[in-house]
Amino acid sequence: MSAAKGVGDQSKTGPVKDAKPLKSAMAAAQHQKEWFKNAQERVRAGEPFCLANADTPHEIFLAMDDIPIVMMQWWSAIISAKQLSGYYFDRMGDKGYQKNVCRYCALPLACAIEQDPEHEPWGGLPKPTLLLAQLSCDVHTKVFELLARAYNCHFFPFEYPAPAPSYPRWWERLEDDWEEVIGSHVLDLRVEETKALIRYLEVSTGRQFSHKTLLEIMELENEQEEYFKKIRNLIAETRPCPVSLRDQLAATMNLQWHRGTQWAVDHTRMFYEEVKEKADKGEAVCKDEKIRLMWIGRGLWHNTAFYQYFEEKYGAVFTNSMYLSIAADGYIRHHHGDPLRALASRHIYMGYCLRDPEWQLNEAKRYGVNGAVMIVASNCIDSVGNMFIKMVLEQGGVPVLPIYADVVDAREWKDEEIKAQVSQFIEERCMP
Amino acid sequence: MGPLETMKKHYEQRDVAAQKWKKQGGKVVGYVSDDCPEEMILAAGLFPFRISGDPASGTAETDKYTESFYDPSVRSILNMLLTGKYDFLDYLVIPHASDSILKLYHQLWWIHRVDPSKQFPPLHLFDIVHTRFWQTGQYVRDQVRALKEKLEEWSGKEITASALARAITIGNENKALLKQVAALRASEPAHLSGVEALQIIGSSMVMLKEEHNKLLSQFLKGASQLPAQEGVRLFIEGSDLDNSQFYELVESCDATIVGENSSWGNRYSDDPVDPSGDPFEAIAERYHLRPSRPRIQSIEQRVAYCVRSALEAKAQGVIFFLYEWDPAPSWDQPDQAKALEDKGIPSLSFNMQKYAMSDRDRETLKKDVKQFVASLSKKKKH
Ligand code: SF4
Repeated sequence: MSAAKGVGDQSKTGPVKDAKPLKSAMAAAQHQKEWFKNAQERVRAGEPFCLANADTPHEIFLAMDDIPIVMMQWWSAIISAKQLSGYYFDRMGDKGYQKNVCRYCALPLACAIEQDPEHEPWGGLPKPTLLLAQLSCDVHTKVFELLARAYNCHFFPFEYPAPAPSYPRWWERLEDDWEEVIGSHVLDLRVEETKALIRYLEVSTGRQFSHKTLLEIMELENEQEEYFKKIRNLIAETRPCPVSLRDQLAATMNLQWHRGTQWAVDHTRMFYEEVKEKADKGEAVCKDEKIRLMWIGRGLWHNTAFYQYFEEKYGAVFTNSMYLSIAADGYIRHHHGDPLRALASRHIYMGYCLRDPEWQLNEAKRYGVNGAVMIVASNCIDSVGNMFIKMVLEQGGVPVLPIYADVVDAREWKDEEIKAQVSQFIEERCMP
Repeated sequence: MGPLETMKKHYEQRDVAAQKWKKQGGKVVGYVSDDCPEEMILAAGLFPFRISGDPASGTAETDKYTESFYDPSVRSILNMLLTGKYDFLDYLVIPHASDSILKLYHQLWWIHRVDPSKQFPPLHLFDIVHTRFWQTGQYVRDQVRALKEKLEEWSGKEITASALARAITIGNENKALLKQVAALRASEPAHLSGVEALQIIGSSMVMLKEEHNKLLSQFLKGASQLPAQEGVRLFIEGSDLDNSQFYELVESCDATIVGENSSWGNRYSDDPVDPSGDPFEAIAERYHLRPSRPRIQSIEQRVAYCVRSALEAKAQGVIFFLYEWDPAPSWDQPDQAKALEDKGIPSLSFNMQKYAMSDRDRETLKKDVKQFVASLSKKKKH
């Protein structure tokens, strides 16, 4: 699972040509900065603080009088966007860790081990009082154990029961029939774990969990994610594409991070209105759009300007990625009176759903793309299975180009080479 | 053929006993890793067969469907499944023992989806999750129940408590005998090479346990006749090695491997099943909680296990051998190396190693091993 908030700092590489940056995206990035600063102050003043993986229920923290919580993958993306990943991975190497350790989740650890807030982006991550992750990967146990050591705090792990191969067209059923799609025995376990987490937080922070607040949060989230769905549908059906992938990523992730608040609902509505206005006015990323491309995999956080190159060269526009699509298809939950269970069903297999080849194909068709570029991080077990996405998409008539690179480690990014690969792919396999 | 030669034969031709069983009309259940209760398979009247990869059998078929960068032994298993090397298996149990092994389960499903002509034996996923928590134990208990039902469906007969208790007794006896084998290696001088130890231990997982127990008893009776192994004493840590190629290489450099942290080695005989009380409960508890399960061990515990085992084996040095794309143990390595150093045990680390070694790999490794061994024997003389 991957998420990023605060990504898409527009000042870095300049706005996309011919398209003004979205106000909602800028407001979200700004809000994120302020939120983070505020969190730093609150933690300094003694409040608890959690560093968690993106596929964990931050709603629980929100329902406990808003305990500040930051997502590992966001923090990783921020360090990467500040071009600091090389520095940190070199330090890891000095400490005897293998050169090929995975990057995405390890970057915050590298940063924690250094213990040098001056060097860290945004004035440094506050010292967490709790770490939270589901063990969807063997390395998580290691990374979080070392993080717990570095921060001298507890790690609260959720189990990761094995997902069944794939519920057919789960995205059509998840909102209401999540119990059936996810499976009762798995939800039983996760609900028990969530209750244990709540009790643990109540005991260790002295705060109380509010069921009423959780219900409100779930409602607000549904409202917000419905907007994401409208945005996704609108972008998918509008030709030429009205919003660049870079803007989509920045807005979606920063807004998604604050889900469960009225602020997030209001700004996601604003995001929708902006997209609608652009679509109505016929504004486009590329007026002369010739080719539509899908981006498969995590966002290229160290180089979000990459996508732009192909717009100028070929009129090839990256129209979509998993971030907005999963917001539309994976988050909404009608809780049927059991919000905790519905919440459990939201996170447990989010990462798995994201890599479902059938869903990816469905999105490719929805956006009518001519091809897909798939980023594969060969240091991460999460990338194993991408070949099936390629095979299923190609059987469905969508050519796929895998590029082998890391989304947070800029050291290994070969810009010229990868641009040449994508160019060749566009010319040979995507041009009508 | 003496007992050692017989076990060696079964290690080298792993399907011999299973094929014989099949000829007699029996059914064979293949399973991956040591996270599967083989006792239950036996108690169901089925032949438990631990699947392994084979560095010599290539990856051409696997390459068509999967990425290159995950546990190479699992990739090799997939290749063997795709090329018919495991056609004699009637059923397959895949435990959620690691990310890569879970991937194997999903891959078989997806391969069939993209190419329906590809068929595999009926599968069962044994979802043995990650932590030592009590709640997790409850979940594992349910998984044991589900496995029981599946095995009963496959065998057409009930697994009774007494049949399971008997299988546990046989399995525990096997582990106890294997501990005696481990003692032959820990003695000074050692009386068994590391390669021989792998053959003895590995053959236990591809034979009927009762037969293996007989062979072990015979072998141990003659143990006093075994020649002394004079090489520098080494302990191996890192990836689970399902073949002996690295051991052969190391032991050709004036070294003897006296112990290892591997489920194909000494770790296999740790932690017998508790023979008292309800056998199903005992199985659930053993497979959930056994300390020898690396997935539930913290780095700290992995460090302690490594240091303790190396000391018990009276190792003069430790070699870390880590396959490429086997990231979990590589995270333990820096702490393990440091803790060993604190105990005065030097170590050498081989990272990102190929599953199938080329001649060139062998040459490079050999050079480094020789140097390491020489430094250790010099140290001994001082
Ligand atoms: S292997 Fe991938 S998912 Fe697992 S810890 Fe590393 S980067 Fe994260």
